[in-house]
Amino acid sequence: MRDQERRPGPGPAHLLEAVLLVSASPLSPSDLRSATGLSGREMEEALAVLSGRYAPKTSGIVLREVAGGYLLSTNPACSDAVERFRREARPTPLSGAAHEVLACALYLGPLTRGAVSRVRGVNSDAVIRSLLERGLISEVGVDREAPGSPALLGVTDEFLAATGARSREDFPPAGSLVTHEELARVRERLAGSGTVQAHAESP
Amino acid sequence: MTFEPVGRSLSDFTVKLDVYSGPYEWLLALILEDELEIFEVPLRELVESYLLARRPDAANGLERDTDFAGSAAALILLKSRTLTPAADADAEAIEEDPLSPVKLAERLTEYLKIRRAAEHLRARFASNAGHYLSAHTIPQRQGSLSINPDRVALAARQAFSRLIEPPVRHLGPITVTLQELAGIIRTALARGPISYERLTGDMDRMNRAVAFAAALSLAQEGSLTLAQTEPLGPLTLEPSR
Repeated sequence: MRDQERRPGPGPAHLLEAVLLVSASPLSPSDLRSATGLSGREMEEALAVLSGRYAPKTSGIVLREVAGGYLLSTNPACSDAVERFRREARPTPLSGAAHEVLACALYLGPLTRGAVSRVRGVNSDAVIRSLLERGLISEVGVDREAPGSPALLGVTDEFLAATGARSREDFPPAGSLVTHEELARVRERLAGSGTVQAHAESP
Repeated sequence: MTFEPVGRSLSDFTVKLDVYSGPYEWLLALILEDELEIFEVPLRELVESYLLARRPDAANGLERDTDFAGSAAALILLKSRTLTPAADADAEAIEEDPLSPVKLAERLTEYLKIRRAAEHLRARFASNAGHYLSAHTIPQRQGSLSINPDRVALAARQAFSRLIEPPVRHLGPITVTLQELAGIIRTALARGPISYERLTGDMDRMNRAVAFAAALSLAQEGSLTLAQTEPLGPLTLEPSR
């Protein structure tokens, strides 16, 4: 507060608000600091002010902390009006196959196209192409150990923003998404088909 | 992949899917024109839509059913071909030996986790839909370069880890240095201008080359001036004034 009084121009929250308004991608704390010249403490206080001001219940604009930064976007509650104004429909939801490929990239990535297809058991090239076009995955390197050095795929900041995640650590561990009962059922089915039994009887 | 002409019996059949809403015939056209990926089209929902809209009592009911069955079968074939690994897929993807039961269980478990993770992602996408960003576009910043320290370190390692050293056997031992020849030139210039031929008359080929480099170096730092009246003519070294 004392800092705000000392400052002759706009206050810290005003500066952050202005910079965030014109950015279409998340701005990291360092981006915001270098643009506004605010100290770390001033930033924290200003962000707290903006979080209250741009809360979903109080504003048509919301402040989101996604992909390692901060982003102003419209409140989903107002999306119908925005879509009418922009004369565009909401983007087509992703297919089940696309969600599976994204899960592979998120939990097993970076990984090659071939690895994605092996995990899913079906060719995934077309799905991967579609996700690359949407910017939800990208080529983040190459696997020099594999023949032909195939590209490695990973999720992007756009993916984190679209899922409302601050980072990859924001997602629950894959193991926690499957219950012991489900795993037991898989083993039972294998045993029922005779494969596990046959293996157990083999020397 | 080609479809038999559907005719017009299905012209009034419309579908409503997540990926497409509109006439069924247009859906087929979009798939054939590669405007819509076949893997995105849920065929089960498509068949259910038709069963709901089916009119067995219509005059052309049988024709409609036949046309739909034919086109749906073609879609199933197309989708199965799209999803099946290609015959010329990379060798590592082809497993000649059947999986052991333990490996199979591992794979199924891993796939089950991915399925559950995919469902989790679907829910996250849905709960975060409808956020629209600023329409203000920021112009590209000139000279803005993003450097990933890990990639710089990798590039440096690759640059400095040459396995093959350049061949140097044709090079003889160092017998003269640039500084030595520069000293000789300075001494000679103390007595006035001197031609390059005279200066290097009793030098071998290596010393003459180094003397020339030393003269260029001294000229660059302003200690002497090189004068040549014509191309390939005699070169004279003159002390700077």
